[in-house]
Amino acid sequence: MNTSLSPRVAGLLTVAGTGAVAGLATGRPELVVLATPFLLLVAAGLALAVPPRLVIELELTRERLLEGDQTRVTATIRNEHDSGLELELALERSARLAVEPAEPIMLRLGPREQTSVEFTAAPLRWGVHTVGPLALSTRDPLGITLARARLGAQLTLRVFPREQQLRQLVAPSRTQPFVGSHVARGRGDGIEFADLRPFTSGDRVRQVNWRASARRQTLYVTERHPEHASDVVLLLDTFAEARAGATGTLDAAVRATATLARAHLARRDRVALVDFGATLQWLGPAFGTTQLYRIVDALLASEIAFSYAWRAVESIPRRVLPPAALILAVTALLDERSVRLVSELRRRGADVTVVEVSPLDYTPPGHGLTDAAAYRLWRLEREAIRARLQSLGIGVAVWDEKSALGPALEEVNAFRRSARHVLSA
Amino acid sequence: MTLLAEIALVVLAAVAVTIGVALLPKPVRTIHGRRAPVSASRPEQLIRLERLVGMSATDTLQAHAYLRPLLVEISQRRLAASGRSLEQMSDADGARLLGDRLWDLVRPNRPFPEDRDAPGIAPRELARMLEVLERL
Repeated sequence: MNTSLSPRVAGLLTVAGTGAVAGLATGRPELVVLATPFLLLVAAGLALAVPPRLVIELELTRERLLEGDQTRVTATIRNEHDSGLELELALERSARLAVEPAEPIMLRLGPREQTSVEFTAAPLRWGVHTVGPLALSTRDPLGITLARARLGAQLTLRVFPREQQLRQLVAPSRTQPFVGSHVARGRGDGIEFADLRPFTSGDRVRQVNWRASARRQTLYVTERHPEHASDVVLLLDTFAEARAGATGTLDAAVRATATLARAHLARRDRVALVDFGATLQWLGPAFGTTQLYRIVDALLASEIAFSYAWRAVESIPRRVLPPAALILAVTALLDERSVRLVSELRRRGADVTVVEVSPLDYTPPGHGLTDAAAYRLWRLEREAIRARLQSLGIGVAVWDEKSALGPALEEVNAFRRSARHVLSA
Repeated sequence: MTLLAEIALVVLAAVAVTIGVALLPKPVRTIHGRRAPVSASRPEQLIRLERLVGMSATDTLQAHAYLRPLLVEISQRRLAASGRSLEQMSDADGARLLGDRLWDLVRPNRPFPEDRDAPGIAPRELARMLEVLERL
């Protein structure tokens, strides 16, 4: 507990001092007598002040939440002292965690009494939030001393990004030789029809297409496309963001990345994550639910950190970028380093798609002619960047958080179908 | 007797004043949960352009060295969508399509400005050029 004198002490001492000085100056002892009780009040207050002994316990009803949910925080306060006390208490809050009630609560505790207070914590976005401690303030009975403290544990509240439902994904141009849900370009055992060809030795009888064979008077077999899995690398750009209050492009980018990770893992793809920004973090490719938890957990730590460091493709470990992987870069395209990175990956033959989180919603145009012209120029420059990427064969899905991600990905698929010759280069 | 009465009166008055002060309402809201400031960040990409537009308005060198390459790239990309390019355009076609001022700025092999003290491109003029580009 941090104990200090209450602001009223200054007033009391001023009155007492004035009375004493006036008494000395005028030679009237009545004034000194008049001032003495003020001094006595301060002295009594100091003598009566005993440091409060409090035990605080904080408890969360739920330690893991989805964005938009809220949890109850129960604070149990026990007065270990033999005298009662009056308390003001508030739960510490941050810019990303709203707490109700936000105003301090007044509380009176009797000797050895225990009570509970409930707060509601509502995170404003995904992430690892800290709940607590409690900020407390108490006074002695005469209001002369003021004790302040921050007591109670700091609890960790993990808030997972809210994901969208995706029916359509970016179809990878190449697949891996594992069983999955993507129709591969090659021929093999599968469901999707590929072609007919004359029977050759080694073909199985069940492959024979009897209808075609009867029509052509010779044996023909049906060839099919196998269903294979693909490797997907999710590249999250954390170089820069546009932010308006509690929301920003990084928040949306993390939600999109989590959505894509869940959708691809559900289709039995191997998914890797690269957090590409001032700090480089990655998770190697893997299948399954465990990988989804790993990815979402890693995403919760995503932060924009300012850096001048230039990062090239070489800084990403090779094992994280498997050959023939589909690279989905989730970026606001606000930093030249990210644009260079995806261009460089494409130039090296990688199959790259950009999910552009539009920063326009978070960036209102400035006032005045200069700022308005700069804003229009900025929009045109961003279009030029997009066109530059598309000329390399990189599909760009422009997505803002108010709309669904699926249609944006469908546009990319349409682009990829039309630019197949570029992609296969 | 009078003196004693006076003393008693003063002491009573002092006690009354002190009790009055002690009974004054205590100030409330002495504590607050700490709250980090909510940030709002404009993209560096946009801030750079705002600076560039501002400087290009007064300095022709800035306009030529920094604003021109940007306008050239934007023009190229937008013209490419309709199968045209700056390099293949004649002066007459370029001026007709882009307007005299924009064509003069983005035309290939534009010489370095001779008059270094000449004014640059005013925001109003730039806005007109952007309007042309947006229409392409």
